[in-house]
Amino acid sequence: MKRPVSIVIWIVVALVGAGALGGIALHRGEPLNATWFVVAAGCSYLVAYRFYSSFIAARLLALDDSRATPSERHDDGRDFVPTNKWILFGHHFAAIAGPGPLVGPTLAAQFGYLPGTLWLIAGAVFAGCVQDFIILFCSIRRDGKTLGEIAREEVSQRGGFIAQLAVLAIMVILLGVVALVIVNALKSSPWATFTLAATIPIALLLGLYLRFLRPGRVLEASFVGVALVLFVVVAGQWVADSPSWAHIFTLSGVTLAFALIAYGFAASALPVWLLLAPRDYLSAFIKAGAIFSLAAGILLVRPQVLMPPLTRFIDGGGPVFAGKIFPFCFITIACGAISGFHSLISSGTTPKMIIHESHARFIGYGAMLMESFVGVMAMIAACAMTPGVYFAINSPASIVGATSDAAAATISSWGYPLQTQTMTDLARSVGEQTLLNRAGGAPSLAVGMAQIFSSTIGGPRLLSIWYHFAIMFEALFILTVLDAGTRVGRFMVQELGGRVWKPFARTAWWPGILLSSALIVGAWGYFLYQGVVDPLGGINSLWPLFGISNQLLAAVALVVATTILLKMKRLRWIWLTLIPMAWLVLITMTASYQKIFDPNPRLGFLSYAKVLAAQIAAGKIPAAKIVDTQRVIFNQRLDAAVTAVLAAMIVVLIIEALMQWYRILSKDPKSVLHETAYVATRWTEDFSGASYPGTAAEPETPAMEDEHANRAS
Amino acid sequence: MRTAQAKTQAYMEKLRALAAAMWTKRLAAKLWLGMREWCGDSAYERYVQAQKTKPEKSCLLTPAEFYVERVNRRYSRPSRCC
Repeated sequence: MKRPVSIVIWIVVALVGAGALGGIALHRGEPLNATWFVVAAGCSYLVAYRFYSSFIAARLLALDDSRATPSERHDDGRDFVPTNKWILFGHHFAAIAGPGPLVGPTLAAQFGYLPGTLWLIAGAVFAGCVQDFIILFCSIRRDGKTLGEIAREEVSQRGGFIAQLAVLAIMVILLGVVALVIVNALKSSPWATFTLAATIPIALLLGLYLRFLRPGRVLEASFVGVALVLFVVVAGQWVADSPSWAHIFTLSGVTLAFALIAYGFAASALPVWLLLAPRDYLSAFIKAGAIFSLAAGILLVRPQVLMPPLTRFIDGGGPVFAGKIFPFCFITIACGAISGFHSLISSGTTPKMIIHESHARFIGYGAMLMESFVGVMAMIAACAMTPGVYFAINSPASIVGATSDAAAATISSWGYPLQTQTMTDLARSVGEQTLLNRAGGAPSLAVGMAQIFSSTIGGPRLLSIWYHFAIMFEALFILTVLDAGTRVGRFMVQELGGRVWKPFARTAWWPGILLSSALIVGAWGYFLYQGVVDPLGGINSLWPLFGISNQLLAAVALVVATTILLKMKRLRWIWLTLIPMAWLVLITMTASYQKIFDPNPRLGFLSYAKVLAAQIAAGKIPAAKIVDTQRVIFNQRLDAAVTAVLAAMIVVLIIEALMQWYRILSKDPKSVLHETAYVATRWTEDFSGASYPGTAAEPETPAMEDEHANRAS
Repeated sequence: MRTAQAKTQAYMEKLRALAAAMWTKRLAAKLWLGMREWCGDSAYERYVQAQKTKPEKSCLLTPAEFYVERVNRRYSRPSRCC
């Protein structure tokens, strides 16, 4: 009786989801309600989780709960800590959810709501979740080894080195581009700048409290910290209203860039308990609160989606970033559908805390579904504002003009009506001087979020508070990515430098700390600076570069996963990772080629450099601007070189993997699987990590051990 | 007869209120514990428990030492994503 009811329920869920997806895809004319998006995404996720992920768990990976996980075998109360699956889900989700799924879909909304939404759902279900789940499984079976270590063992030494280089490359580009997102959100905004600056002394206070007064009492310290942060969001208004204070906190893009570079250096070099860790605690609580509030707001308000399903910019001439829908929609969305960076979390911290192998499905696959839902919410928030306003906020001045009049005229001429007064009124209602030319996604998302929040609580009166709350929420956790990423990058630089000169690898040696911090901050700081002074707005060049490097790392992870599955003799189901991998290689290589060689100067780095060089040669550039223009030319060539190196890395890795696959298929005895040996669990099946192993099962009998040894061999 | 019935009803209502209060308390305690686990508030207690179950005895870190060691280790590897 139970089974037929379950079948009927799942058929209904699938039909409702298919209907909602069909509605989104085929609807034309009147604006669509956001409920359609929520239903389509929710039902798709439910069906995918129930059927696709369980198919992967059972048939492809054959998860085995009788096998002891690393947290059981190495339980040390530090890295290896058996953790309840719900808590670990929270940990994992907090670690993987960053600014990417919010900014990427917001930028991709320039193509309209349809392509981005479909890729967010399908990309997560068939690629992103699969990658996170399988890499988590692979790391559990290898004592929590990292992606680089697994690649070295299972693909080749060179493959592992490429994976490590790819991680460093993505780190540098990621930090540069997320810093640019903050700069574009804060420039000329005293309210937002003060709010974010005030979080630094709050974090320092928390750091001292947690270190000296009540060591490790994170919860009570975070409550006080979150209350203080919410207070400074409100206090920012008083700063903006006071001419003398507003003057201090009204900063240009270049000044903000140098301030962020100095902050990154300090956060990397200072003791981690003083600034980095307490900021991360604050950020985690505010991130969780803001994401749940946004979900609740969308469900309560059910806003109309005003953006059309497809805009005229699918042809590649978009003002936010140049490039056609293929491949740039997929490159731009990045983390909301699939993120290579997740494979670092799935192969680092989480596998050391998981209790049973079967939890990997809920944590690996489930957390990525939730991240994808965050991306869908960002898409709704961005598309709920009128298209004219969206383009006015996200387009650089070189395309739409620097004044409200010019922007309104240009954007209206594209077929998206915009009144001059609309932008002035909107800026005033959110407490800003202007919202024009703020490419980067953060301000437009904040406007969308503020409109949704203020429709629930406070009305238009609180719009400015909600806007600055949203900006603070985005900037706070972007800063967390910035400082945590800089520190990890510093360790990578020290490790690489240590191969040349051993003392450099000592993480407690001050000259090494300062030099490696300066190197990593200098690297991402350079990308940030070039983005800030870029006449095309920076995001146009740097976000695709970030997307390419991120998707490249995802391709690396899927190459590793495919190799392991081949070694596990899962040839029949290899398409589960092979198809997403091939798709990622296709979009990465196409985007790389177009970014380097496309004749359109807005798209191709080299053609833009060539156009500028021709202008200098023809004497069209004023003498005072020649040095700046030459710097832009150099930056374009540098970006082209970086893109080429990224593409070359994936080509080399694929060649390495193909050679390894040939050896596996020709049954070369050297191609062996490097899993840790089977050890039977001593925990009962219902052990949930809520209490420590006092509920241990009886030790194995010799017969059982023999059986497991046979199975392992 | 009526008084006895009313008394029983009142008694049942009290029982129901008590059960609801206990359920709420249990749920709140669970949420609180979950939150402590999630943010790392209970990490030191976990560490002490893990050390107790180990056969070889090593020097136990103080809460402050453990906290510094824990955050140092946590932020030396990718812990926050894009």
